[in-house]
Amino acid sequence: MKSALRKLGPAASTVLSLGALLVLWEILARLAQIDGFPPATEALVQVPLILGERESLASIGASLWRMFLGGALALCFAVPVGLAMGRNKRIAQALNPVLTAAYPIPKAALMPIIMLWFGVGDLSKVLVIFLGVSLPLIYHSFHGAHAVDEKLLWSAMAMGMKPVARLFKVVLPSALPDVLLGCRVGLAMALIVMISSEMIARQSGAGDLLFNALDMALYGDVYAMIVILAAIGFVLDWVFERVRRRLVHWAESRQDAMVPGGGV
Amino acid sequence: MSEPMIAIQGLTKRFSTADGRKHLAIDDVNVEVAEGEFVSILGPSGCGKSTLLYMVGGFVAPSAGAITVQGRPVTGPGPDRGPVFQEFALFPWKTVLENVMYGLRQQGVSKAEAEARARALLDMVHLKDFADFYPKELSGGMRQRVAIARTLAYQPQILLMDEPFGALDAHTRTVLQNELLGIWERDRKTVLFVTHGVDEAVFLSDRVVVMTRAPGRIKKVVEIDLPRPRVRAELLVNRRYQEYIVELEQLIEDVHLEAAGA
Repeated sequence: MKSALRKLGPAASTVLSLGALLVLWEILARLAQIDGFPPATEALVQVPLILGERESLASIGASLWRMFLGGALALCFAVPVGLAMGRNKRIAQALNPVLTAAYPIPKAALMPIIMLWFGVGDLSKVLVIFLGVSLPLIYHSFHGAHAVDEKLLWSAMAMGMKPVARLFKVVLPSALPDVLLGCRVGLAMALIVMISSEMIARQSGAGDLLFNALDMALYGDVYAMIVILAAIGFVLDWVFERVRRRLVHWAESRQDAMVPGGGV
Repeated sequence: MSEPMIAIQGLTKRFSTADGRKHLAIDDVNVEVAEGEFVSILGPSGCGKSTLLYMVGGFVAPSAGAITVQGRPVTGPGPDRGPVFQEFALFPWKTVLENVMYGLRQQGVSKAEAEARARALLDMVHLKDFADFYPKELSGGMRQRVAIARTLAYQPQILLMDEPFGALDAHTRTVLQNELLGIWERDRKTVLFVTHGVDEAVFLSDRVVVMTRAPGRIKKVVEIDLPRPRVRAELLVNRRYQEYIVELEQLIEDVHLEAAGA
């Protein structure tokens, strides 16, 4: 059994475990007979219907666009800040307490304040996604830059490499595996914050769709939306993981252990 | 006598520990190394011998004293002093060939010429078939060969070797010692070689500087008067070689006893 599973490879095992989850869902829902817990089949038939509607597609698209903007802004801001903290003790000492204090705050909790300042539109949502992605990204970039092997820098110095060049040619590539790990955590964070921001500022987006369905007691749609969001998360992570492996194929593997879906 | 290649005068290094106490790592060390000389610094771990090397490299600033290289005071790292570290310190995101070319490219050598020189060096260290490999795909011994080639590539006048074979297994260490001697006997660069291995120091060096521990001071300088080229099998039955080994083992043991007694 084990060797058969192993032969099937990670893709097949993913399908198997997801299939098992769906079967379990179906059985439990049929046994439970609760309105708020429709069987998998009833929820899944709603998925193509939702995706077939132009309006809901536009909503999901708008969500993803805000997520992309917030993430891109975070990337431009957080990586340089994290690297600077990792290489400069004073910057680290100044910013580390702020980082530590801000990290455990649920970013969605800031949404009301941000809405007071910037309204309920796109700007607020992009900003809160930016905040949510920035913190893990700063944190991991900081650790990556901090852990740069001193001897690598010395080797570069002995070759005559100047400080600015060392930052881009030694510190950045050295820290890249950690930076990308931060990106991956940030990606999950972006999805979470994206949905929660749209739950709070109900105006458009995937989170809005979800809660509208809930308001109208369309439980099949609610679950279908959750399935769609899970699929989006899964696909984004899958794509990102391909990119990440390509970028840091040279690194000694040490982070792959915690990767979901990576290996049986 | 002509000017020494490296002159170390009154070199002292103090560190502040985490709890604010001062730790005297190196105390008033004076050494001169002539051009083309192979000098080992031998001592137990924690005697500050690596720190001494880092100061010559310009990576660590001394607390007191002076280091000059060819009469010029050391103020920072420079391509005249090429380091080789125990941890290899290869750029893991670059291939073997790119690693070896890197220093040359830094110095503005054209890509074609840098590649030709790098390939010749890889050939010399028996790695010409591994040019396109990444460091993580190589064994420790191969990585250190790459690191040596990378440093030799930009033609430093001085090699600063920090326990370069310390992380390798006994067999690989022996092979690399032989290769290093072969390379050195051809172009006679000045070498400062840090080690805690007595036989390694005797086998390779013209002179061995024995250091004490905490603080690191020079205990004795032993001149190794053995013929070159040196062949290990011949040395092992050489009476003088054996006497050097015994003398240095004794000195190291004394250092340990003194440290334990203090």
